[in-house]
Amino acid sequence: MDIAPIFASLHKHRTPVALIVLEIALACAVFCNAVFIIGQRVAELGMSNAIAESHLVVISVNGSNPDTARADIPRNLAALRGIPGVTGAAVMTSIPFGQSAGVDGVSTGPDSQVHPGASRYMLGEGGPRVLGLRLLKGRFFGPGEYADSTLRGGMMPNGHVVIITQSLAQRLWPSGHALGQQLWVGSEKHYAVIGVTADVARPGSSSIGRGSAHYAVFFPLAPDPAFTQYVVRSAPQNRQRVLHAAEAKLHTLAPNMVIKGQTFAQIRDQAFTATRSMAWVLVLVCLVMLTVTAFGIVGLSSFWVRQRRRQIGIRRAIGATRANILRYFQTENFLIVSLGIALGMVLSWGVNLYLMKHYELPRLPWHYLPVGALTLWLIGQLAALGPALHASRVPPVVATRSV
Amino acid sequence: MLKMTHLSKVYRTEVVETYALRDFNIDVKEGEFVAVTGPSGSGKTTFLTIAGLLETFTGGEYMLDGVDVSGLNDNARSKIRNEKIGFIFQAFNLIPDLNVFDNVEVPLRYRGMKAAERKQRIMDALERVGLASRLKHYPAELSGGQQQRVAIARALAGSPRLLLADEPTGNLDTQMARGVMELLEDIHREGATIVMVTHDPELAARAQRNVHIIDGQEVDIAEEPRFQAEQAASSHG
Repeated sequence: MDIAPIFASLHKHRTPVALIVLEIALACAVFCNAVFIIGQRVAELGMSNAIAESHLVVISVNGSNPDTARADIPRNLAALRGIPGVTGAAVMTSIPFGQSAGVDGVSTGPDSQVHPGASRYMLGEGGPRVLGLRLLKGRFFGPGEYADSTLRGGMMPNGHVVIITQSLAQRLWPSGHALGQQLWVGSEKHYAVIGVTADVARPGSSSIGRGSAHYAVFFPLAPDPAFTQYVVRSAPQNRQRVLHAAEAKLHTLAPNMVIKGQTFAQIRDQAFTATRSMAWVLVLVCLVMLTVTAFGIVGLSSFWVRQRRRQIGIRRAIGATRANILRYFQTENFLIVSLGIALGMVLSWGVNLYLMKHYELPRLPWHYLPVGALTLWLIGQLAALGPALHASRVPPVVATRSV
Repeated sequence: MLKMTHLSKVYRTEVVETYALRDFNIDVKEGEFVAVTGPSGSGKTTFLTIAGLLETFTGGEYMLDGVDVSGLNDNARSKIRNEKIGFIFQAFNLIPDLNVFDNVEVPLRYRGMKAAERKQRIMDALERVGLASRLKHYPAELSGGQQQRVAIARALAGSPRLLLADEPTGNLDTQMARGVMELLEDIHREGATIVMVTHDPELAARAQRNVHIIDGQEVDIAEEPRFQAEQAASSHG
């Protein structure tokens, strides 16, 4: 390989080399971090949510009469359960990926130093079964626990039991003994943990950090005006029909309410619209960045081939084959891109530190660096190929021409 | 060593055919020092580029070191240029980005020679031309004469069978030209075959044999009045 003479030659052209190295380094840093963020966003699109999403439709209701709501809810649920194909219906205050109905700081006691924010789900009777919650430990709520739990005392249910998600249980009781413990909400109210479920996504979890996206607490609640979500379960193939029938039924029963029905798939899709857009914007940024870098390499390589046409002729005259000339320019490009990548790795790490500090991004896994390096090497080689082929076609007789 | 028989080189455009060489014949024996002379545009440089396999020819036959080169592909021609031919150009044709050592090394690298052997050959060649102390100098830091000596060292390092020199003193002042010419004569005395293209009758006179080209054909100088007049003028001047 001609590495030493190529380095010597590059040393003589420090300024243009430094500029293209900087461009490649910047592209490497942006590319590695952007691909990492895209990966994070794509992973969020598939965020786990241990409920029977494909079986559920959700009817949001607004404008219910607070005075009659407690009586209307059982009537409405009975009507929904009567729709052909419906296998269950329940009410909730909020739904996963939907709008938040409250986040509380929870802990293991008033003196605990650990008090993560957890979303509050209040479920009407039958809610766990309709949602398809997967109980890992303990039990679901009994009928009496629903009846005993109301919001008459304020914002929090005045019941005494909760079910929590597995992630929250591990966060609060890392040793794994959540069942039977007291979950404190703030410093005054506490509830006995009677069950631990597989992780259910929080409302608004598309914008919550990955670590706490499944911190949720389920409270039982007697029929209450706070219930704004009717969750209806059916076989997946019946969803659309059930959705239209449920909307029509509630319209008939409560003509003054604003009713909006969606399948759960639509809810998930909407929840991640911004995430998807962000991912596409980053893909576009990467493509533009890599294209600009490739054009930079093409431009510099073409300029050098034109500038060194006579030198190429001399090399051909004293024995270089076309392949030697092609290899020379490809090797030269490889060295320049490698310098850029080496600097780009350091920059990537720096950019990642900045993003970690200011945007709560996790540490960039090391394997993104070789991915970035391979991409830039490939782009560099492809970008330099045209000018290098052009150089390899310079005839040796050029060496004898004075101009 | 170098034998061209009825060789022709035609440059064609849509409207005209120009013969740079026409029915050209030359036979250079091993160990000879031949000067190829002629006026500007006579075909001297075309002869040199074809002799050095830098260009192809249109017709005729060219045997180099016993090999018919007419059917060789580009790679084979490159290999012959690298292993059998040493070039000395008027404009030196050193690579400005490389120092003296690296310049001399270039053809040896293309030959795939091992580093230790390359180094030995480079040092021998540079000592031969008296520039062993200038290894790290770049061409721009050397005089014209020194640059041409580096070019000669580059040509010698590969131990070529044939040295082709194109106006080797054309860009040098008299003193430097004399030094370079003496070096070529020394190299010839050591057994090298040299073909030198020049329009300088004084230089040509130092070769063993002169071949004159006019209008792309070899001519007998005794029958060419123009050459007789030039020679007479130079001998009186």
